[in-house]
Amino acid sequence: MAQFSLPANSVVNPNGNVHKAPSGAKDVRSFRIYRFDPESKDKPRIDTYEVDMGSCGPMVLDALIKIKNEVDPSLTFRRSCREGICGSCAMNIDGVNTLACTKASAEIKGTVKIYPLPHMPVIKDLVPDLTNFYAQYASVKPWLQTRTPAPPDQERLQSKQDQEKIDRPSACILCACCSTSCPSYWWNSDKYLGPAALLAAYRWIIDTRDEATGERLDELEDPFRLYRCHTIMNCAEACPKDLNPARAIAEIKRKIAERKQ
Amino acid sequence: MSAYEFVDHSYDVVVVGAGGAGLRATFGLANSGLSVACVTKVFPTRSHTVAAQGGISAALGNMGQDDWRWHMYDTVKGSDWLGDQDAIEFMCKEAPAAILELEHYGLPFSRTEEGKIYQRPFGGMTTQYGTGPAAQRTCAAADRTGHAMLHTLYQQALKHEAQFFIEYFAVDLIMENGECRGVIAIDMSTGTIHRFRAHMVVLATGGYGRAYFSCTSAHTCTGDGGGMVLRAGLPMQDMEFVQFHPTGIYGSGCLITEGARGEGGILRNSKGEAFMERYAPSAKNLASRDVVSRAMTIEIREGRGVGAESDHIFLHLEHLGAKVLHEKLPGISETAKIFAGVDVTKQPIPVLPTVHYNMGGIPTNIHGEVVTLRDGNPDSVVPGLMAVGEAACVSVHGANRLGSNSLLDLVIFGREAARHCAEVVKPGKRHKPLAADAGDLAISRIDRYRNAKGGLKTSQVRLNMQRVMQNHAAVFRTGDSLQEGVEKLDKVIGSFSDVSVSDRGLVWNTDLIETLELDNLLGQAAATINSALNRKESRGAHAREDFPNRDDANWMKHTLSWVNAQGKVSIDTRPVHMYTLTDDVEVVPPKARVY
Amino acid sequence: MSLQSPLGKVLGNGAAKEGAGHWWAQRVSAVGLVLLAPWFVMSLIALGDLSYVNIVSWIASPVNTVLLSLLVLTVSYHAQLGLQVVVEDYVAHKGIRMLTMLVINFTLLVLGVLGVFSVLRIALTGNH
Repeated sequence: MAQFSLPANSVVNPNGNVHKAPSGAKDVRSFRIYRFDPESKDKPRIDTYEVDMGSCGPMVLDALIKIKNEVDPSLTFRRSCREGICGSCAMNIDGVNTLACTKASAEIKGTVKIYPLPHMPVIKDLVPDLTNFYAQYASVKPWLQTRTPAPPDQERLQSKQDQEKIDRPSACILCACCSTSCPSYWWNSDKYLGPAALLAAYRWIIDTRDEATGERLDELEDPFRLYRCHTIMNCAEACPKDLNPARAIAEIKRKIAERKQ
Repeated sequence: MSAYEFVDHSYDVVVVGAGGAGLRATFGLANSGLSVACVTKVFPTRSHTVAAQGGISAALGNMGQDDWRWHMYDTVKGSDWLGDQDAIEFMCKEAPAAILELEHYGLPFSRTEEGKIYQRPFGGMTTQYGTGPAAQRTCAAADRTGHAMLHTLYQQALKHEAQFFIEYFAVDLIMENGECRGVIAIDMSTGTIHRFRAHMVVLATGGYGRAYFSCTSAHTCTGDGGGMVLRAGLPMQDMEFVQFHPTGIYGSGCLITEGARGEGGILRNSKGEAFMERYAPSAKNLASRDVVSRAMTIEIREGRGVGAESDHIFLHLEHLGAKVLHEKLPGISETAKIFAGVDVTKQPIPVLPTVHYNMGGIPTNIHGEVVTLRDGNPDSVVPGLMAVGEAACVSVHGANRLGSNSLLDLVIFGREAARHCAEVVKPGKRHKPLAADAGDLAISRIDRYRNAKGGLKTSQVRLNMQRVMQNHAAVFRTGDSLQEGVEKLDKVIGSFSDVSVSDRGLVWNTDLIETLELDNLLGQAAATINSALNRKESRGAHAREDFPNRDDANWMKHTLSWVNAQGKVSIDTRPVHMYTLTDDVEVVPPKARVY
Repeated sequence: MSLQSPLGKVLGNGAAKEGAGHWWAQRVSAVGLVLLAPWFVMSLIALGDLSYVNIVSWIASPVNTVLLSLLVLTVSYHAQLGLQVVVEDYVAHKGIRMLTMLVINFTLLVLGVLGVFSVLRIALTGNH
């Protein structure tokens, strides 16, 4: 059966350390953050940090960095570009998978609750292990496959209209917000490719320059790889770049159905 | 040192960094039959190349007549004649083929009506050797060209089944008698220390924008390659040249692409005046970045800034219309909304010149081989070591880089480094045993910082450094202010011995990693501000108010700076290459730089 | 602990090259149910008098016999397809999954055949 009973070390202690705001802070907000230290025998815990928003940037990532800089340097999370394009700081904030760098603290009511991306192995604190996610991306052969040689001194031509079809799907930042928001992916991430990898596959399926559409569809036609999508639509809801993996998956299913008629 | 054990690896070539240059080198090497490993501290598609927006230049001539010689002229002029002309010739001549190659890899370029790669105007890009109209030379994938390029390059690396060591932080080079034998890295997920032996190490570690308080650079832009090179006793080149991008969003510092002005965006002061017409009568808003940044700074200084504090400038895009904004600039529309709360179809974006790019870096020749000044030879190659991308200083950007020449630099020299390695490294060549003390430098530093129990948090030292750099090595500089900055930075560097690291763990110890990164930043900050103090002229991005003119007689030369373990900087120079690689083009002789 | 490469794990035994049929059948049978289920409910409402005799004679009419048989078959088939998805989603153990599917398939087969046979018996023999 799917694992409904959780291993002992996944039971979270809700009363971790509390870090009070410095005296004199006026606009104080509480951040409750998941902490897990793989080198200690302790259960994961929720630490509470009171942050003076008067001296903090607007985004949740600003608050995390402020906490790390000023209060607790051991707080661990990934971050890089801080402008929503690198996909490093994906995490579960206020119950929703999103990027900490583009999520404003002010958009959240009450205490800000921060957890790692759901249903992934946690390496430490807010850092999940994305190895399987990346392997799934690689498995769809996300590169141009052709048999017609490229013209030697010229680009492969593509109409504006055809380019527009790949424009949005190719804007995926591989943050994993979509895949890790999908219940079907939670239960079957070992076999279901998940919305991100399927969106990547779709990006090449509809690229007019690519000549491996048939092989790509062949590789996806599988009860688990593709058809575990039950149009729950969490992926489209979660995507911080407003992409629509659910629609891409529906299009792949339609293309496979079409070629049988 | 016995508490630490090495995990050993041997490859023909090891690439450090997986941004545009590192990835291009990596799969080029994988394709050439050499065994190659790419060591990177972030997953490849998180590298900062991903944030490049506007595009990549090449004289394809898809949208009007163009010639790579005009591109070369513009680049030399943009560099304020500090760029090496042989390297610039090489880059501009190779550009069209390199861009077509990217297209053949599947990069989702925007298209013209005929289905060719779309090209937009960019700052400093002209036709007819500066006498013609603006060139449309910058190949774009909407306003996320860097994203499209980085993902395409990673996809090619997957296709070529390249070997990656992801989330491994490179600590130090293994140097032996002036030769590089490999590199030491920490596996962040376990804390184990890995020793990579290689016949060639290619540093593709990017810039060090985070030496400043406000920058468009990612948090990870900490110049780790430069730090390693300085500790290896090798010099950095032209570190005083730090590019301020005219349009970083006021407050957050997030980048608004120059492509926004390329598509017709206009900078206006508090009087609503399009002031660039006064500073650059012909190129106006599309003058070179150093010129625009200085003009903006003067406007603000003279009281014509916008906002409550009169301390920034407005970038207007409303007149472009929703359709153009949606089609050509969707990403910055979103960024402006999120970080400035501005609807670009209705309101201007508040912007400020923001640290963006390091023209300086590890000195190399056009093949990417690291060079140093040794026994009077300014082109003495350091065996076993290469550098590419922003980490390197070839120098194609000289004193000021033109927008969209950076992505080009990455692919051209990433590719060339791979090609050259294939020529000089024999696949599968046996490795000599390493010296007994190989890796000691790295181990001693890791050990010191892991157990650092001083009185200052890493973040405090970092903030102090960033404030000094922001205040004393900015758009305009003076001797007095630089001198004061040098002294303050010396104190900051001194205080680093009192740093504390509170995370004692091995797994994902980012407290330790940030401290190692800060060590890298401090060395380069010192090199930057000391080189700036040393250069008594104004050239490109280095604007000295006490020496407002370019002085070709005394200063047409590259600065070399060495930084010792105490942060003390020594300076020498290398000549600028005022010659071309072939007879296909003539040297662009120096003249006054007017846009 | 498995030391297989991450990509090796993902590629596994390769694509089954099926699933489209199942996906399509689920949709087609759903369309069938969308038509047949309202017909059944509306017919019973229209019948008004739901006495035993009245129902039996309603079933015995040829059109109703055919449509009702189709409804029983479609329900069984659609239930089988749907339950298969649920089992595949939630039952990870291969052996248990196969056993569960066997039980479900057999049960639904029996129910379907039994349903159709009952309808036909009423229609053909008039026996109650």
